[in-house]
Amino acid sequence: MNNPYYPIDTVLEDVITETPTIKTFCLKPVRPVKFKSGQFMQLTVPGVGEAPFTPSSDPNITEKMEITILKTGKVTDALHELKPGAKVGLRGPFGKGYPLEKLEGKEVVVVGGGVGLAPMRSLLYGLFDDPSKYKRISIKFGAREPAELCFKRQYNEWVNLSPNIDLTTTIDIPHPEWDGKVGLVTTLLDDLDINIAESYALSCGPEIMLKFVTLKLLEVGYKPPQIYLSMNRKMSCGMGKCGRCNVGHYYLCVDGPDMCYDKIKHVPNVFG
Amino acid sequence: MRFIDSTNFERLLKKLSGEGELFVPVLDEDSQKNHFERVEAFPLPEGTNFEGFRAVETLKGFAQLVRSMVARYPTEGMDEMDVAELLPTFVIVGAKACDVRAMQLVDKVQVEGEFTDPFYKARRDKMIIIASDCTEAGETCFCNLLGSNPWPESGFDLSISKVNGGYLLETGSDRGKAIEEENKDLFTDPREGQEKSRDEIRMTVLAGLKATNRDYPSGDKVTEPLREALSDPLWHDEAARCLECGACTNICPTCYCFLLFDQKDESGEGYKRIMSWDSCQVTGYARMAGMGNPRPRLSDRVKHRLYHKYDYLVLSHGEIFCTGCGRCIDACSASIDMREVFGRVTKAAK
Ligand SMILES: Cc1cc2nc3c(=O)[nH]c(=O)nc-3n(C[C@H](O)[C@H](O)[C@H](O)COP(=O)(O)OP(=O)(O)OC[C@H]3O[C@@H](n4cnc5c(N)ncnc54)[C@H](O)[C@@H]3O)c2cc1C
Ligand code: SF4
Ligand code: SF4
Ligand code: FES
Repeated sequence: MNNPYYPIDTVLEDVITETPTIKTFCLKPVRPVKFKSGQFMQLTVPGVGEAPFTPSSDPNITEKMEITILKTGKVTDALHELKPGAKVGLRGPFGKGYPLEKLEGKEVVVVGGGVGLAPMRSLLYGLFDDPSKYKRISIKFGAREPAELCFKRQYNEWVNLSPNIDLTTTIDIPHPEWDGKVGLVTTLLDDLDINIAESYALSCGPEIMLKFVTLKLLEVGYKPPQIYLSMNRKMSCGMGKCGRCNVGHYYLCVDGPDMCYDKIKHVPNVFG
Repeated sequence: MRFIDSTNFERLLKKLSGEGELFVPVLDEDSQKNHFERVEAFPLPEGTNFEGFRAVETLKGFAQLVRSMVARYPTEGMDEMDVAELLPTFVIVGAKACDVRAMQLVDKVQVEGEFTDPFYKARRDKMIIIASDCTEAGETCFCNLLGSNPWPESGFDLSISKVNGGYLLETGSDRGKAIEEENKDLFTDPREGQEKSRDEIRMTVLAGLKATNRDYPSGDKVTEPLREALSDPLWHDEAARCLECGACTNICPTCYCFLLFDQKDESGEGYKRIMSWDSCQVTGYARMAGMGNPRPRLSDRVKHRLYHKYDYLVLSHGEIFCTGCGRCIDACSASIDMREVFGRVTKAAK
């Protein structure tokens, strides 16, 4: 019997500190794990439990996997205490992943906030496989303060990949070490210099951010079918069995976690 | 269709009990309700009752244990072991239509689709169901409002209907046919008039159900009105009475939600992963990390239960996940009655 509840033995090889509260965990499972951008894993801390995370690494690399995690509760606190060499577990991948095919030939806007940048990196790696397939890849990242912007070390490398990639950042409140844009991530959507009719926007972040990003996108002219949101509901089984992650009649673990806004806009309390 | 007299039926059960565990409904003197009991020895326990209506317990608890270990790690052992091999066969006798139907519904979630829950499937494969007709309906029974009848029509291995001196027996699966074939000495052809007398009993029970439920609208037509009543104040009224105990979901034969959690194992060196029933009615059920709760108010959760059963699962699995067994009505300390909810929803949508 192939037991889907059994976590694959995995070694924590390295830990990278991204921000004061976010770390990237470099993992090596005993057998390669194949995943698509946007699919997620259940990561086990032995004896503590498991929680869902979208890998932040390149889906082309299957022997190793990186997951970038915000310290926020039981499992993530325990994870942040782990040292290289520790044993963890992985189940998955689960979910559908990003609709990359749909994005071909379009202007793609990627909006990430806070730790929402983590799953977005797997999307970016997916897009970077062949940036010429997309008319434009426009990355909009926001965080509360400069120290909380994830993956800063890579921004230059990304925009240098191709002339059709641009990246802008903002922080919520002014900071002495910051001379860039200030304001919520939605401010980066104020003056989008793109053909909205030929565009898709994909967003990941806290639900409150998703709500305001969605409202903003609608305001600037996006239609619900052009908006994709990474919905991070509580999950347990990852397989559409436990019922936990219901949004309307969708199971986010199977039908998502990235959902087209058009599909879920009628659901009560769609933003938690 | 075959006939089996009561003595031979007990012989048949004795024979089947040699292959695994046997459960029969036993009438409790005080409550006058049927409970499933495991048969340890023959003759069958005093009070064994294949008649009446559904037992207090559901079949769900046989297929998905209240709490069970689903992995032990880090030993690959559990990954490879064949759970089905370790399980005894179990025979459940006297399951009613609403319960057999409920198992067919839960199968759609747990067995069909891209993933299968191997534990549920193993237990289902080991479950032999001998269903039986209801010879009366309970006050809270409303299977007729969901377009079902109080006699089993599919989803069983064998089905029995009480007639004079014994039972009429029908097969509903290959396994049922094999049991019939292996025990053909125990059966005879039905006598004249027996099928007619069975049908008369059935019609009487159905008529009783219709009379009990005549003031309520159909549950199988409630999906559309529900969609219209999404923001009706009625949900706040329902929630104001609800005690948030989760009894309705625990007792419901079609509720299947569960939680996984991890513990240190007995050796202190390894860990085990436990699956446990859960309820969408409790606050923490859908709570997300730090960032809020998609169903913060009790009214959101009360509503969610209803919508899940009568709308969402219709969209995702093609069926209403309620069989009208009425257990949630019996279990509710606040006397919330699903049938009255149908009424209010239908009225609100008008
Ligand atoms: C598909 C998906 C992908 C994800 N990807 C990522 C990712 O890449 N990176 C990432 O960092 N996160 C990601 N998340 C979020 C991540 O899963 C959660 O942060 C994680 O589950 C938190 O687990 P925890 O055990 O540490 O938190 P928990 O212990 O569950 O607690 C989290 C917080 O909830 C609150 N809380 C705890 N208990 C209660 C209670 N009883 N009542 C009320 N509030 C309570 C507290 O505020 C606590 O800080 C993703 C989520 C999903 C669904
Ligand atoms: S919702 Fe109530 S009546 Fe319907 S199947 Fe569940 S317990 Fe029975
Ligand atoms: S709900 Fe219908 S099938 Fe179930 S016990 Fe009552 S009468 Fe029988
Ligand atoms: S996490 Fe269990 S159904 Fe989605």
